[in-house]
Amino acid sequence: MSVPAESNLDPFVGAAPLPLRTPGAPARRLHAVEQPAPRRRPRLVYGIVAVSGALLIGGAQMGLSILTTQSSYELSTLGDQQRSLDWQKQMLQDSIAGLSSPQYLAANAEAMGMVTGQAPTYLRLSDNAVIGTAAGLTGASAVNALSKAAVGNALVSGRPLVGDPAASLGATGGSSVVDKAIPDTTTPPAIADGLPVPATH
Amino acid sequence: MTTRATRSPRRRTVVALAVVLVVLSAFVVRLVDIQVVNAREHVDDSEQFATGAKSTLYGARGDIVDDNGVVLASSTTLYDVQIDPMLAAQGAVQADAGGNAMTDADGKNIMTPWTDVAPKIAAITGQSAADVEKIVSDALAENSASRFAYVKRYVSTEEYRALAALKLPFLTFPLHPSRTYPDGAVAGNLIGFVGSDGDPLEGLESLQNSCLQATDGSLTYQRGADGVIIPGTEIEKPAVNGGTLKLTIDSDLQWFMQQLIAEETARYQADWGGIIVMEAKTGKIRALAETNTVDPNDPGASDPDNRGSRLLRVSYEPGSTFKPVTAATVIEQGGLTPTSTVETPDRIQFPNGAVINDSESHPTQNLTLTGGLVESSNVAMSQFGAQVPAETRYDYLKRFGVGDGTALNWSGEPTGEVRDASTWDNQTFYTTTFGQAFTVTPTQVTSLFQTIANGGVRMPAQLVESCTKPDGTVVTPTLPAPVQVIKPQTAAEVSQMLENVYAQGTLADDIKIPGYRLAVKTGTAQIPDGHGGYKDNLFMTSLAGYAPADDPQYVVLTLFNEPKTNTMSSANRSVFKKAMTQVLTHYRVMPSGSDTPLLPVTQ
Repeated sequence: MSVPAESNLDPFVGAAPLPLRTPGAPARRLHAVEQPAPRRRPRLVYGIVAVSGALLIGGAQMGLSILTTQSSYELSTLGDQQRSLDWQKQMLQDSIAGLSSPQYLAANAEAMGMVTGQAPTYLRLSDNAVIGTAAGLTGASAVNALSKAAVGNALVSGRPLVGDPAASLGATGGSSVVDKAIPDTTTPPAIADGLPVPATH
Repeated sequence: MTTRATRSPRRRTVVALAVVLVVLSAFVVRLVDIQVVNAREHVDDSEQFATGAKSTLYGARGDIVDDNGVVLASSTTLYDVQIDPMLAAQGAVQADAGGNAMTDADGKNIMTPWTDVAPKIAAITGQSAADVEKIVSDALAENSASRFAYVKRYVSTEEYRALAALKLPFLTFPLHPSRTYPDGAVAGNLIGFVGSDGDPLEGLESLQNSCLQATDGSLTYQRGADGVIIPGTEIEKPAVNGGTLKLTIDSDLQWFMQQLIAEETARYQADWGGIIVMEAKTGKIRALAETNTVDPNDPGASDPDNRGSRLLRVSYEPGSTFKPVTAATVIEQGGLTPTSTVETPDRIQFPNGAVINDSESHPTQNLTLTGGLVESSNVAMSQFGAQVPAETRYDYLKRFGVGDGTALNWSGEPTGEVRDASTWDNQTFYTTTFGQAFTVTPTQVTSLFQTIANGGVRMPAQLVESCTKPDGTVVTPTLPAPVQVIKPQTAAEVSQMLENVYAQGTLADDIKIPGYRLAVKTGTAQIPDGHGGYKDNLFMTSLAGYAPADDPQYVVLTLFNEPKTNTMSSANRSVFKKAMTQVLTHYRVMPSGSDTPLLPVTQ
């Protein structure tokens, strides 16, 4: 304990002495920069890039806009063409509708003298065997597709046949043809109330 | 220190701020109201009043095609011709070659008088000029400021374009999605038709509407002054087309059957007739023809009674075509065979008092079960049937589908009716053995023969093959599972007996198709007269069968209601032969190459 207590207690012992502020003597620690850092001149190229970029964008925008507008006119023209072609297509479809219908084809076939309804005969290629009766035309056609046409088609009604331009399928078939066919039959009229017959057989 | 002087400006600030806030919030509320709450309304208004326009994109209703893809129904477009009578009466402005209105010296438009324009319109629409002028004068007589009248509705594209080429400002042409049926009345009974407003009214058009119907879309856009769409303003909600409905029907075969049944119905002066062709192994209906059939292109031309399918909505007491059911029942449950016999007079009185007659008088014979079918003897079949209890026979009728309808689920299709066996009276006990006292539909009769032809397995009757959605997915209809109705052995025995009906029956010569083995059965069913009895000498006659009997491919049922020049089932012979010949030819079915093994008819 030989250390003198006094020196320990003094906080300023050993500290640097405070600078003395003397009027008229400016502080030396802070001093003005003698010469400001030379300001770099803005490079012209950036400006040009920025401005021309903006102009370019503006120009492109305008160009695109012109092109879009232009193509909307083209679209409109093409749309008109499409519509007109759709109409044409519809008209053509309407004009051939029904020509492929079986009643029209069959009426044409009958007009050309073809018959249907014979029992089929087959020729087996492997051994030349004839399967079936091999009978040719043995009778009238099973159906009369033209003279007693009964399956109507409003789409081809009145349209001349290819096989016989003078003939055509009538208006909607069904009842009218059936009515027409009745006088053709030579069978006697019905017995409305004959003898009661057994139930069924 | 707050003095009066310092308080006043602060309060004023607060009040001003509050007012500003109130006004601001009012604006915010209004803004939300305009932009969010009522946005749709304002957008609509803007579209209506400003340069915007909205058009409907029509989806095409789906096609109906046959089994081979032949189009039976497809979509088309028709147009209305609307006129503005007030403008029309003033005449049309004459235009020069460049399309510009011509003016006279005073700068007034040179007008073509209405009386000169009307004939031009009439020439295109096929009306007379007087008709067209009358439409306008009538409209004006009713209301001198009339702006609307129809010149003609539902005109074709050709007429529409011709009218549009007249460039008359007072004509407008609203569009109608419509239907066209290229094959006309072929399968018209099945396809049905749609009304002029596009609503499906009948047949598959109506039953399968969920597959066929399209969903309309819309296109919203803004137009420039010259009518061109302003880029970027289009909002398109695409239309969805309907699905393609594929039927099991073969349109060529269907046409032949329709033509055939129409000719034969006329020949026998029947009320109506029908033919059903069913594939024996699948139950698919290949043709369902009847008289009279509607032409869906022009349903108005048909009598209202003929616009739907009669064949699918009728039920009747089948008569002898149901004798094979009795045969199958007694073979399985009575231990009988095709050669079991009963003594058969032409009239029999049973111990319970019931009396059964045969249709023709004949000497007493010792008929086999086969003979009962070949001779179609009611006396024989009722004796055979009586050997098994009524409940068992009732069960077999139910198993063959009587009373349960069909898988077609047609609108208004009857299910057939059979009363419970406990309610059968003495006569009914016997008449049920030969197809009386219960009712079935023609489809059910066809299914009965399909079951026998297919080893005892009934396949559900089928008209619709599939529905192909626009995105390509194929939806097949849900069908009930096949039913093993009788044992394959029983089916084979019944089939052999039915072959003998073809080979040894009275009809053999009339329906013979050289080279083929057939199995057939006739039926002459009585028709209730509505007063508790049956009509005199008027029957529902039928002939059903399948070929080739050694490997059954197709079942054919022919039916006449009340044929008059030949009232019995023999009226069906020529139509059956022609129909079956056509089916065998159409499907290239090979001849049998063997003869029917004959079974004894009497012993």
